[in-house]
This record gives sequence, structure tokens and C-alpha cells, in this order.
Amino acid sequence: MNRIVDPVLEDLRHRLIKMGALAEAILDKSLRSVWEREPALAREVRIDDLEIDRFDLEIDEGVLRVLATQAPVADDLRNVIAIKMIATDLERVGDLARNIAKSGLRLASRDPVDVSPKLRELAGEAQRLLRHALDSFSDRDAEKAERVLSEDDQVDEDQDVVIREAIEEISARPEASSQEVDFILIAKNLERVADHATNIAEDVILVAQGRNLKHAEKLAG
Amino acid sequence: MTAVEPTNATKVRVGDLSVFYGEKQALFGVDLDVPANQVTALIGPSGCGKSTFLRCVNRMNDVIDGCRVTGSILLDGVDVNDRTLDVVQLRARVGMVFQKPNPFPKSVWENVAYGPRIHGIASSHAELDRIVISSLDRAGLLKEVQDRLHEPGTSLSGGQQQRLCIARAIAVSPEVILMDEPCSALDPIATATIEGLIDELREKFTIVIVTHNMQQAARVSQRTAFFHLGEIVEEGETGKIFTNPTDQRTQDYITGRFG
Repeated sequence: MNRIVDPVLEDLRHRLIKMGALAEAILDKSLRSVWEREPALAREVRIDDLEIDRFDLEIDEGVLRVLATQAPVADDLRNVIAIKMIATDLERVGDLARNIAKSGLRLASRDPVDVSPKLRELAGEAQRLLRHALDSFSDRDAEKAERVLSEDDQVDEDQDVVIREAIEEISARPEASSQEVDFILIAKNLERVADHATNIAEDVILVAQGRNLKHAEKLAG
Repeated sequence: MTAVEPTNATKVRVGDLSVFYGEKQALFGVDLDVPANQVTALIGPSGCGKSTFLRCVNRMNDVIDGCRVTGSILLDGVDVNDRTLDVVQLRARVGMVFQKPNPFPKSVWENVAYGPRIHGIASSHAELDRIVISSLDRAGLLKEVQDRLHEPGTSLSGGQQQRLCIARAIAVSPEVILMDEPCSALDPIATATIEGLIDELREKFTIVIVTHNMQQAARVSQRTAFFHLGEIVEEGETGKIFTNPTDQRTQDYITGRFG
């Protein structure tokens, strides 16, 4: 049996999946602007982010409409709420990519400094978590989402290492301080990307199993 | 209310309730605890047994030929099917409001006065009048009908007639009010008024409502029981049932996947 709500929910899901692909792409571009010292890429990120914001508004509109007209309950309701929450996370990922691109612009205008391999690792890890979180949403795969949750700790550790290394570099070579500060900022932004990936994974589990894992560790004390 | 007082004790405890209409079995060993001063919504597809269940609580099924009831329905611990129990008294304790407003072909005042009079609740006309006025007031109808108390109840609008029936039900100070789709014949404004009224009435009464309107069940009730094929599939706190039901059949029904 076809329900009126089914194509509406499917449309929202598709928009979110597209928004997710855009968020991955913009994050990748912002990082390339850093690795390749390419200001043009950094400037493109700003334009691409507007597209993410447009998706965010469209999804808001769609969510309000489906809540008002279809009054969804049970898994339909959890789906709609998750779509709204994930859209907010992706919008933030867009903002974080913009921050990284800003660092990219600054770094490109200054003397080149070696990028720490740990920062590249951290970037790869954050990108992987975001990809897996989005895959778990599109595949409705709660197990994959669980794996994202278990892998977030590595990102936090990598971030700490990058920050420690940068601080050491600043003491050793004060002339590269501003570049190292940007590496710290990039690491911070990547760590937050991973947090949003974790949120997305938690939403996927909420939809699939009705279990709310938000703040579970913190609240468990 | 003190913090240690157990809230919402069980008002009606139904155990292993089966109902047969001749050869046909309508309910299959149903168990349900109805908490006091809460609204319990009974939902489920047509023919699932929810109205049958409702009608057992004040023995309305007694009037149906060939209807047989087994199991227990305890009202404050006393079985309503105890044959020594006065069924007229039972129905004063357990009132009922039907799908279609059914005022008596009498005045507004007489409609409400009828119950207290036959049950000998009022000792004087003045007291009866006080009961009528306060019942109309509690049913949220007094302001609209105070100048028309002696006009026929049937001259009121559908929503007003339904509130008149609620006033008539509460005039005898029942403990439980059973409602069988009380809003299905009403427009959205009248429905919202009745729903608001139900929410207020639970302070004094225990309410069991059968509804086909899922959003209504979600709005007005604290507990929901999902009936299917003469059994209760799932019963629980309404917020839980409508956000994260345990049974796939409940989920399929409330989301409209159930054909």
C-alpha cells in the first residue's frame, strides 16, 4: 500500500543525501586548498557553502510541511526529526569547511611550512567518519553507524597530537607561529567535523532502533 | 498530593477477558489495567474488539442476545460481572458517551436532571438544579445554554449536544467515563473543545476513550492500548507508543501501513 507520506519522506531523504555529498565535497575542497596552497579552491568553498545553506532551508521547509500536513508518528516521526537534525549537522560541516578554507587562504599567503603527517591523518579520519556516517544514513545501516561512534576517540587523540606538535614548533621556530596557529585551528575544525559525523550516526541509530545515544557516555558519568 | 502517595492507582483491572457473540469470539483473554484519573485510549482497526471491550466495563453487552463474557473486570477490586451487583448502580459509577450525540427528546435541563433524579441523588428541586448547573458548567456548556435551559436538547449544535451528553454522564458523579468515538461526528472546533474538556475531566474521573483518530489518541490520552484481532498487542505510555512502539504491528497501524 502506498501512503501519502512515503514519497514526501523519500524526497526529504534524497535532498539530505545530496546535501551530504555536497558537505563531503566542500570539506575535501577546503583541505585541498590547504595541502595544495591553492587560494582559488579556498574561494570556491565559500560559494559551495551557499548551496549547502540552500539545501538546509529547503529541508527545513519540507520538514515543517510534513509535520503540519502528515502528522507523522513512530518511525516516520523519528525519520523526519533525524533528517532535520542531520541537515543542521551538515550545515555546520559546511561552516567548518569554510573555516578551514580561510586558514587555507592565510597559509597560501605566507611562507610554506611542512604540514604535519598527523594533521593529514586527522583530516583523513574526519573525512572517513563523515562518509561512513552519511553511508549509514543512506543505507539505513545502524551497525555501520555504531562503528562511527566507536571510532571518534581516535580523532580526539590525533587532534591532541597535532596541537602538541604545533605548540612545540611555535617554541622552536617562532617565525612560523601564525602558520602553526592555523594548523591548530584546522585540527579543531576537523575534530568538530568528526563530532557532527558522530551526531549523524546517533540519529541513524535513533531512526533504526528508537535508541537515543546522545550524551550517553557523559550522562553515564 | 504528597510525593509518597502512589499516583494513579489502578481503577479498573481487566483480567483474561474473553467475549463471545454466539459462536463468534470477539475478545481473546485480554488483560488491561486502567489507571485512575488518566485517559486511556483504545485504538485499533475496525472490528478489533475495542468497543466490545469498552461495553464490557459497564455491562452494556448484557443487553445483546447471545453475548457471553468470561474473565474478570474489577472496578476498585469488585467484579462488575458479579450477578449480585446492581447493574443500574454500576452504570451510575461507570458512565458512557457515545459516538453520535444522543440527547433525550427533552429540554437541556431535563437531559441533565434525568440521571440524578432516577438515582435519587438530589433531595430537593433546588439541589437538582445545582447539580444540573454545575454539570453543564463542568462540561463547558453552561455559558452557551444558560438562556436556553428549557429548549429541547436536540436544538443544540452537534458539539453542544455531545457536551450535553457529557454533562448528563457526569451529573450522576460517575467514577469512570467510557467514551466511544465521542468526536467522530463533530467538526474540528467542536472536537478541540471536547478534547480540552476530556483533559480537564480526568482530574475528577477515570476516562477510557475509543478513537479511530490517532492524533486524538496521542493528544488526549496518557496511556494507549492497541487492539488487533481481539487481543491487546501493546499497551503503554502514550508518548512511547507514538514515538517508539515496541511491536511492529503497532508501528504499522499507527503509521497507516496496516491495510
